[in-house]
Amino acid sequence: MLSRVAENLYWMARYLERTENMARLINATTLLLLDLPPGARFGWEILLQVAGVGELYRKHCGPPEETRIMRFLIADERNPGAVLSCIHQARENSRTFRDVLPAEFWERIHALFLFGRDHASAAANRHDRYAFLNELIAQRHALAGLLLGSMSQDTADQFVKLGSNMDRADMTTRIVDVTTAVILPQHDSLREAVGESLWIGVLRAMSAFEIYRHHISAQVCSNQVVDFLLKNDRFPRTVKHCLSEMEVALALLPNSDGPLDTVRRARKRLDALRLDDLSPAPLHEDLDQAQKDLSAIHHAIHQEYFDPLAQHRTPDPQWTAIC
Amino acid sequence: MSLLSERYGEQSAYDELIDAQQQPRLAAKALFAHLLRLDPSALAARRQEAEAAILAMGITFTVYTEAGNIDRAWPLDIIPRILSRREWERIEAGLKQRLRALNLFIDDLYSAQRIIRDGVFPCEVLEGSHHFRPVCVGIHPPFDVWAHICGSDLVRDQDGTVYVLEDNLRVPSGVSYMLENRRIMKRLFPELFQNCRVLPVDDYPSRLYDTLSALSPRTGERPVVVVLTPGIYNSAYFEHSYLAQQTGSYLAEGPDLFVGPDDIVYLKTIAGPKRVDVIYRRIDYEYLDPEVCNPKSVLGVPGLMTAWRKGTVAIANAPGAGVADDKVVYAFVPEIIRYYLGEAPILPNVPTYLCMRAADRDYVLAHLAELVVKPANESGGYGILIGPRATPEERARFAELIRADPRNYIAQPTLALSTSPTLVGDHLEPRHLDLRPFILQSDQLHVTTGGLTRVAMQPGSLVVNSSQGGGSKDTWIVDREETPCSLG
Repeated sequence: MLSRVAENLYWMARYLERTENMARLINATTLLLLDLPPGARFGWEILLQVAGVGELYRKHCGPPEETRIMRFLIADERNPGAVLSCIHQARENSRTFRDVLPAEFWERIHALFLFGRDHASAAANRHDRYAFLNELIAQRHALAGLLLGSMSQDTADQFVKLGSNMDRADMTTRIVDVTTAVILPQHDSLREAVGESLWIGVLRAMSAFEIYRHHISAQVCSNQVVDFLLKNDRFPRTVKHCLSEMEVALALLPNSDGPLDTVRRARKRLDALRLDDLSPAPLHEDLDQAQKDLSAIHHAIHQEYFDPLAQHRTPDPQWTAIC
Repeated sequence: MSLLSERYGEQSAYDELIDAQQQPRLAAKALFAHLLRLDPSALAARRQEAEAAILAMGITFTVYTEAGNIDRAWPLDIIPRILSRREWERIEAGLKQRLRALNLFIDDLYSAQRIIRDGVFPCEVLEGSHHFRPVCVGIHPPFDVWAHICGSDLVRDQDGTVYVLEDNLRVPSGVSYMLENRRIMKRLFPELFQNCRVLPVDDYPSRLYDTLSALSPRTGERPVVVVLTPGIYNSAYFEHSYLAQQTGSYLAEGPDLFVGPDDIVYLKTIAGPKRVDVIYRRIDYEYLDPEVCNPKSVLGVPGLMTAWRKGTVAIANAPGAGVADDKVVYAFVPEIIRYYLGEAPILPNVPTYLCMRAADRDYVLAHLAELVVKPANESGGYGILIGPRATPEERARFAELIRADPRNYIAQPTLALSTSPTLVGDHLEPRHLDLRPFILQSDQLHVTTGGLTRVAMQPGSLVVNSSQGGGSKDTWIVDREETPCSLG
């Protein structure tokens, strides 16, 4: 497979994953904020923090306000992480590899783009927004299903897997990081209730609420949720699981020793984490390290597969074996 | 027939489907029997269905404007253009004859130049050529074939004669739209395809692959074939990716390729470099290799020309093939056919005045208002003067252009291009059209069954280029016209 095509597949998968994650996060946050007592001291700007676009928003849109934030996160062209920007990027990336994916894939991703473009005005009101984002999620699932059902376990598939798991792990660490930093109200009884709602909201955003209840605990307490989201090895959105998936994908690709090392290093560090005490400062450091590990994996993949000339600028006798 | 607009009573041009008595021609009878049984709203519904399918399938082409590049949905008129198989077979033979002769001609120009020494082709035409590449002299590509993929434009005039209007030998495009048009039409009118004998077109990707792989310098293994595209901002990118997909080739951009010190072309893949055997280039010669051609090109591959000259890689169309894609050379094609093949040309040329000849030039300058004037080396319908429709100022400007560079201009009589019924609202109006079949040559010759019919969507307009608002039609070659198909 061409290096450029592999890179585009990887980024297409990342953008699609991000589209879904942003849509989920916005919907879950909307539901959560409706539940919170007036004393709770956080609001819509938490979304900007998770998306990492707080500064960009303030520069273009001023003080945080629901409608403006939503438009910024969903449809604003100035925000490269906006849902529509992600869909647009995913579609543009998939243009360049129409020769390796089933023809229907292009039709569907193009339809997703048209749907997003034509209905983005729904961002302004809560009711329409919820339905709109849910539809985006459903269409993204249809795309994922199409790939699952029609692609052989070949190279293209591995790069799609690498991309989606990379972005998923990235999003999970961000969500945990931002949520643990929320300053809860001082009043004790309120503090407990708000804390629980907050984590339930997080679990819902990841479609993990029911699974958490079944397998971990009926109680939703922050230590356990954080432990679950980072270290559970069976639920698909945990950092641990994403790392395992990347490991499996890499094992099926040629010359994967370098990238595999970085994945294993990240996993070891994750396994060694102690999450009994969630004092914000050390946890933030741990999550920061997890982000750095993800970025190291990304760079290793990039170097090995996307930028081959960096290694092959001069010819080398062993080529003949490959050619 | 109530479907036809009143314009059909007034027109003098030859119509492809309707005869002078306003009755369907033999090959179109079954189609009209079917159309007449649909009510008008059904026709409009099918058109909407076609538009929806085109949008959903993402069949687009790109138009460059100052406001940025616009991806436009491909315009398809759902009324097919129909030719009988008998007529088509003659055209097909004529197209093969033409490409064989043109390839012998190109090969001769880059070696002994017999045709010039024998006084059949004037030396000064070659000297004034924009596309003759001295760097190609002495090269012998496989089968001595230079132009492997040719798109020739055919037109029909008032008396029904089919002429070749031009031969596109550089990077002709449009074949993917021919294939997609058919795919959509089969979705829309399955019952017609079931009952009429419309010959299939979908073997083109296989024939293209055969043509390309026959050029491979390595024998034995399945050759590595690459479609070389300028990238997603090219107006024909859809076609490039489509053809790569359909032929199982790699779709590569210049930076995906490099030439090693062994003068072999490699693809950059995730498993390391992979040797390339055949490049189907969809970029112009000028951008192929910044070491030889335009040094500023970022689309090309440094060292590619050296690799090609050494024969480690085949390029289709070969560099230098464009020398025959020149409207002055065009005027000599009948002579070229007689000279190399000793045969009479099967398909006639449109009569052409060469402004480089004093007598022709005087005639052209005196009759600008009646003629179509074309620059010798442009494509896409750019830089053309349609005399009868031009303003006096435009004609004066062209007169100056011709005097300044007579070698670069030719003129032809304004043809009354044929028309074909085209859906406008809920009835059919005549619109002018042409036909671009694609001809392949390497070890074998192959012609598409029909080709891409391009139609001018404005009433009376003669401009069919999609970049200038033209549309397209599915082209049906219908077998067994003598027994009209049953619609039982």
